[in-house]
Amino acid sequence: MTTRSSPSSPSSRYDGELIRGEEWRGRAFTGRSVAVIAPGREAAIVVPEIVRTARTVKVFQEEPDWLLPLPLPLPRALAVPAARLSLRLRVREPWTRRRLTPDARFNRNRPLVDGRYYAALQEPHCTLITWPVYALVPGGIRSAEGIEHHVDCIILGATAAHREDLFA
Amino acid sequence: MTTTTEKPAVTGYDFDAMLQTIKDKQWSLADIDWNAPGAELVTDEVRAKMRPFMADLVWIEHVGARGFASLAKKAPTPTIKRIYEYFHAEEQKHANAELALMKRWGMLDEDGNPPEPNINVKLAIKVLDDYGDTLPLTGLATLIPLLECALDGALVKFLLDEVHDPVCHEVFRHINSDEARHITVDFQVLELIGAGPLHKLLIESLALLSPQVIIGLVVVFTPLINKMRDNIVAMGLPEQKLYNAVKRFATIGSRGAHTSRIPAYHVLKAQAAMVVDRTSPYHRLLADPMVRLTSFVPAKLLGKPQAWVDELTHEPVAS
Repeated sequence: MTTRSSPSSPSSRYDGELIRGEEWRGRAFTGRSVAVIAPGREAAIVVPEIVRTARTVKVFQEEPDWLLPLPLPLPRALAVPAARLSLRLRVREPWTRRRLTPDARFNRNRPLVDGRYYAALQEPHCTLITWPVYALVPGGIRSAEGIEHHVDCIILGATAAHREDLFA
Repeated sequence: MTTTTEKPAVTGYDFDAMLQTIKDKQWSLADIDWNAPGAELVTDEVRAKMRPFMADLVWIEHVGARGFASLAKKAPTPTIKRIYEYFHAEEQKHANAELALMKRWGMLDEDGNPPEPNINVKLAIKVLDDYGDTLPLTGLATLIPLLECALDGALVKFLLDEVHDPVCHEVFRHINSDEARHITVDFQVLELIGAGPLHKLLIESLALLSPQVIIGLVVVFTPLINKMRDNIVAMGLPEQKLYNAVKRFATIGSRGAHTSRIPAYHVLKAQAAMVVDRTSPYHRLLADPMVRLTSFVPAKLLGKPQAWVDELTHEPVAS
């Protein structure tokens, strides 16, 4: 697991705290604004924990994944419709739901078991952002809708931590 | 893991290289000094004249952004899907930047709220919410480059002729550079669609004859475009610029080897030619009555729009 203090970690222009790997576990983010850059399958694990303590959370979801609320022993052909139904029931706003729906043609991941991500995203201090992230800059994150999002710390999922363009 | 379910037709265009260029050319509202001198060049007269134009422009970009979101759902390859996701964001960026210009010029209310969309924009929002994601690729993929040619070739040029604020010109250098890439990709995708098997083209074209699409075209698209057309011409946009924009759509389309196989391309090209020609019976018999008719539609009837309409912001930095 890479850590932010490891000398081999690539550096970015971001001057706040950069958290990679599992470092977020067991930490309190009381009073702080936090951004998470991760695909749905990773954000589903991180976000519900962070939302409990952070002042605000911005979830830069790179790609959505199917989630099942319970560990049902279903083949994929049944698990995906079950996950779709779960999303339909738990997220009422259609645009948010659309952004949490994986692309049936290109995303072939099996549904993950998680019952907390959707609820966490709908907390008033949590925002789901699906614009592509293109740079880390002093103060925060730049995404392609042209806005610079300032946060106290950024949690990078496994894929984002290896993105060379973020550490140029 | 990502896999493609169907091998797309080959036209030789390098979409991967384009995606990389798009990533390299990103810009941010935070790059612009919104308080730089020059705002005073927008006189009270220009401000009053341009306010409705800017409001329309912001909403057209915002609705265009939503169009790209639908295209992403239909993209033939993962790379083109990613390009469309960027274009979705870039159109949103253009709307945000234009809203920031409105703010700079004192065109927003005290709370900085975006202008209320007119009834025709609201109808377009409703149609996109209800049917946007189910439209066949050929329909939207043909409509969007037409709108972009009009936006790029006529509206933006008009704005830059009228407004001499250097910040506005700086913003539109970025926007025009983005739009040039959008138009390139739009037409390359038309080539890709046009090069596909004939039976697929025909099936998709027949699907476009569904009542939702026809009603969408007649009740939503026709009055939306006509109202804007007349507003802008009334403000002083030379009609020649509109002709040129539509001509450009036809010229770029005719350069491709396969685009002319797409029926929707011919339909929209013909409609566009009628839109720019004010003497065409199209206006008297269809477009003008539709503008009048839709003006009676109560906005309440359309229900609550989806949350994407609230995503506009003029603030370069969000915390």
